[in-house]
Amino acid sequence: MAVMDIKRKFQNFLRKQESVQSPVEDDINHDLFTGEPAITKYKHSHMVNPHEEQEVLENIEEVYYNDEDVDTSSFELQKVPEDPDLDQIDRDRQKLRKQLQVVSKKVSDVVLQNHPAYAAELQRVMELQKTLQLASIICANGRRQLSGARKSFTTASLKMLANYRKRQQLIGLLKSLRTIKTLQRTDLRLREMMEEEDYCSAIQLCLECQKAASTFKHFTCISELSSKLQDTLEMIEEQLDVALSKTCSHFDIVHYEKVQIAYRLLDKTQTAMDQLHMHFTSAIHSTAFQIVLGYVELCAGTGNSNFQKRPYVDLCKNITQESFKPCLVDLCKALWEVMKSYHKTIQWHESHDEEFIRESGVDVDITLKMKYIRQKLDHGLTRIWHDVQQKVKIYILGTDMANFKLEDFIRVLDLVNRLIEIGEEFCGSKSEGLQDSLKQQSLNYFKNHHRYRMEELGMFLENEGWEICPVKSNFTLLQLLEFRFMQSWTRSPATNSLVHSQQEVEGEESLPNGHNREGGRYFDQYKDEGSPFDVQPDEEENEDVFSGSWDDEDGEGRDTDSDEPDELKQDYIDELTGEAQSNRQYRRRTSRNKNQRHIPIVTNTTLNVLRVIGKYMQMMTVLKPIAFDVINSMSQLFEYYLYTVHIFFGADTWVMNERSLNNRMHMTLQRIRNNLIAEAPIPGAPPTDQENGRDKFPQPHLSPIVDLSGSGRLFGLAERVVAAESLVFLASQMELLYPHLEAMIPGNKKVFLQQFFSQTVKMAAELRKPVYWTVSVQAVDYDNILYHMSGVKWDVKDIMSQHNSYVDVMLKSLEQLSVRLVDINRRVPIPKVVYDLVWEHCVRLANRTIVEGYAGAKKCSNEGRALMQLDFQQFLSKLETIVDLRPIPERDYVEAYIKAYYLPESQMESWILEHKEYSNKQLLSLINTVDHINKKARQRLIAIVEEMDRHRR
Amino acid sequence: MSETYDFLFKFLVIGSAGAGKSCILHQFIENKFKQDSNHTIGVEFGSKVVNVGGKSVKLQIWDTAGQERFRSVTRSYYRGAAGALLVYDITSRETYNALTNWLTDARTLASPNIVIILVGNKKDLEAEREVTFLEASRFAQENDLMFLETSALTGENIEETFLKCARSILTKIESGELDPERMGSGIQYGDTSLRRLQKEQLQQKKPDCGC
Repeated sequence: MAVMDIKRKFQNFLRKQESVQSPVEDDINHDLFTGEPAITKYKHSHMVNPHEEQEVLENIEEVYYNDEDVDTSSFELQKVPEDPDLDQIDRDRQKLRKQLQVVSKKVSDVVLQNHPAYAAELQRVMELQKTLQLASIICANGRRQLSGARKSFTTASLKMLANYRKRQQLIGLLKSLRTIKTLQRTDLRLREMMEEEDYCSAIQLCLECQKAASTFKHFTCISELSSKLQDTLEMIEEQLDVALSKTCSHFDIVHYEKVQIAYRLLDKTQTAMDQLHMHFTSAIHSTAFQIVLGYVELCAGTGNSNFQKRPYVDLCKNITQESFKPCLVDLCKALWEVMKSYHKTIQWHESHDEEFIRESGVDVDITLKMKYIRQKLDHGLTRIWHDVQQKVKIYILGTDMANFKLEDFIRVLDLVNRLIEIGEEFCGSKSEGLQDSLKQQSLNYFKNHHRYRMEELGMFLENEGWEICPVKSNFTLLQLLEFRFMQSWTRSPATNSLVHSQQEVEGEESLPNGHNREGGRYFDQYKDEGSPFDVQPDEEENEDVFSGSWDDEDGEGRDTDSDEPDELKQDYIDELTGEAQSNRQYRRRTSRNKNQRHIPIVTNTTLNVLRVIGKYMQMMTVLKPIAFDVINSMSQLFEYYLYTVHIFFGADTWVMNERSLNNRMHMTLQRIRNNLIAEAPIPGAPPTDQENGRDKFPQPHLSPIVDLSGSGRLFGLAERVVAAESLVFLASQMELLYPHLEAMIPGNKKVFLQQFFSQTVKMAAELRKPVYWTVSVQAVDYDNILYHMSGVKWDVKDIMSQHNSYVDVMLKSLEQLSVRLVDINRRVPIPKVVYDLVWEHCVRLANRTIVEGYAGAKKCSNEGRALMQLDFQQFLSKLETIVDLRPIPERDYVEAYIKAYYLPESQMESWILEHKEYSNKQLLSLINTVDHINKKARQRLIAIVEEMDRHRR
Repeated sequence: MSETYDFLFKFLVIGSAGAGKSCILHQFIENKFKQDSNHTIGVEFGSKVVNVGGKSVKLQIWDTAGQERFRSVTRSYYRGAAGALLVYDITSRETYNALTNWLTDARTLASPNIVIILVGNKKDLEAEREVTFLEASRFAQENDLMFLETSALTGENIEETFLKCARSILTKIESGELDPERMGSGIQYGDTSLRRLQKEQLQQKKPDCGC
């Protein structure tokens, strides 16, 4: 079969060669198949017989044509029998060889036969190949060109598209960037706005920017910007805060409104309010500090510059006396500005918040906020006043004002009082702190002042010559410059009572709601400019502080003050010199005395005391809180004067032992000595401790020019008169002041005042007795009279018609006294009361001397008793021409003693028991001289007297 | 009380009414001119501590009334004055003419060693001058007085007047011409213990003056 297939193949192949005539067959034939070596090999071996060959071909076993993989070798081997026959095999082999030869020949033939076809065909193939190659090249070129075209064409357009898109994006970006740039630029604008204080727009702008920025937050640069914006906003807030703090020192409506609206925008009105209060507090602190620091540094010079770090309290202690007042004024002014600003802030809120609430509709939140603000502001009032008060208080207490001049001190008080009034108007505060400091300083100042005044008074007393200081006849303390301020009180047309007008004046100032009535006078009056501390009385016119209105209305009053004493002088001199030579009757003189009694007897010292009292009164009107202490000091002035008059003129022991001297007087003097008079230092003893002696003053010594000896000058009667009468005058002036004083001190202290007047002032007149009695005691030599009387014989048997000589001696002494009184009256007008006192005591002493003299009689007859009566009668009748005292004092004392002699025994006893004014000796003498009672009765009476004497002891 | 000083001098201001004595004192103490000045009634008093030659001296000044009627009252203050300002008004010959009387008073009533300075006040009223400087200085020389013209209005020479007087006293103390320990010298030591000593002397003396 395989052979068949090959055959067929060959046949097909050959057939093909015949049929396909390729154009290139020639070429192939020429080029490739010219040699023909392969076929020639087979040709030369065997000459072939075509038949045979045909046969051989046909004998080829089928199996060789099988083109399946048959192993022809094994096929041939299998045909070999079991017992191989070499020949057979050899035949087979021959046969096969032949077959192979045939086949090979055959093949070769076929090949040769087909070769031209093949070559032609190959030629054609070659040609085809060439064409194909060409096509391929063309194709490749086309392709190349195509791809080039494609390349250059699509990417460009795509790029264009992409670029366009990019452009669009960039335009967008540019816009954003411009916005951002603007945003960044706004910062600058914001700064400008802040400089222009246009916080409101600044905040608005800033907030808008922030909003804008937040829309761009995808940009990285924006985060920076927005943080910057945040910073700016914070800075604006800070600026706003600074602006807010400016409000404290100077409130400007426009400014404040801007700030408030700004805060409203920030929705921080409440915080703003808290901030504002903080600012006010610190404003008060720093203002006070700066002002005080300024003054301290100014005064300290360059030496010590460490003040900056000192606390305020310390600074205040470094203020010098000279700078104290101007610094206080500045401090008050500055603090006033702060308070005024606060006041205006409140006013602003009062008028604007309503508006704001209305504008914003009924928003609960806002209403609540407004309420908060209002409350805060209201609370703030008290707090701010407290701070202000504290600062001023510390300042005031920092300096010891004790050595200030009164005018300066009063100016300081005036300033602080004004501040207190402002505080009252500001928040209705009673300003306890300030009042306290005022009181403390006032007390300190006043104590010191008083100490000087007392020392001065002591000096005045020691230099006092106890001469009358001529003043006009209707002189009262009101005419003294120091009391001028009171004239408006007395002159007030509505009342004639000092007290009433006084209370009016007081009331006006002390009414707690006083400022309401006047409608916030300080804050209204000085709302635009100035301060209550600007309007100061001229430095030159310090007295204005007290003067009230007298300066205007009282021009004439002042002139008369200096003129009238001249008239008085006329009067006075006329009287003294004109009458000097005339030897007028005593009685006429005394009657004149009655007329001139109203001429006030005052000394320099009295005037000084009055002046000081006047100053004290003035001080009291300003130093109300210490009014009581002032009055207490005032009482010391008077007491010191009184005590001194007593020591100088009335302390002689023989007078002080006088039993008729007022006991209360003793107590008063004792009290003054204990409370007021410093113990005389014991020589060599350590100095007494200061604290104790601070309120006590040494007892003054009478000026050596005052001579209290010498009967010719009646033992200094003139000086005594001046001293005692000036004291009485002083007392009378004190009485004038009583209603004023009473009105000035608190009710619970009035008892003190009453006691002072009843126990001390009213005692002044009582002091006359010891002062004048000293004269009476020394004016007549009573012992000499007694001596004269002891020589008289009382047991005479005849009725005598001539009085005894002792009466004349006595009368002569009294007459001499009278003459001397006249004499002294020329120098010093002796008031009637003084005459009376002197005479009364003289007469009393004379009468007692007479009784004592009569009691000296060992024996006495009836006639002797009559002589006594005669003598006494003589004495009386003459006495009445010398003395115009009626009745003659203790006349009964003498007469009763004389007449007791005549009493029968029965009445004698009761008489003795009734008349205890006679001494033991006098009674015994009486009993012993009586000759009409028996011895037994006499013994009994003596026993009674002795019994009485025992009781008396 | 708190004041400390080395010496205390008692001073006297005398002269005719209207010469400006109180104004001089006021200017000296308050450094101000006293506008609404009335005639002095009796005496008034002022004190000031001044520094003289390194010593602090307290001046205790008695300002007396110039009016005739007060003579008797003011006389008692002459006693024991260490220094005196004898004041006249340069625009009033009358006040100048009265100087002799005032001087006699001062020399007789005050201590013999009293240092007196003549003061021609109202120097500011040059146009109304009636007493020339020369004339007054001659008077001062003749009477052994120091002399200054002052103006209480402007304050010119006011302090100087007091200082000059005080200085002169101090010089006399230092030279031993004046003895502060002597009674009635008008001079006291500022030291408190010394003052007490003086007080005691005064007390011991008291019985002598017999009362």
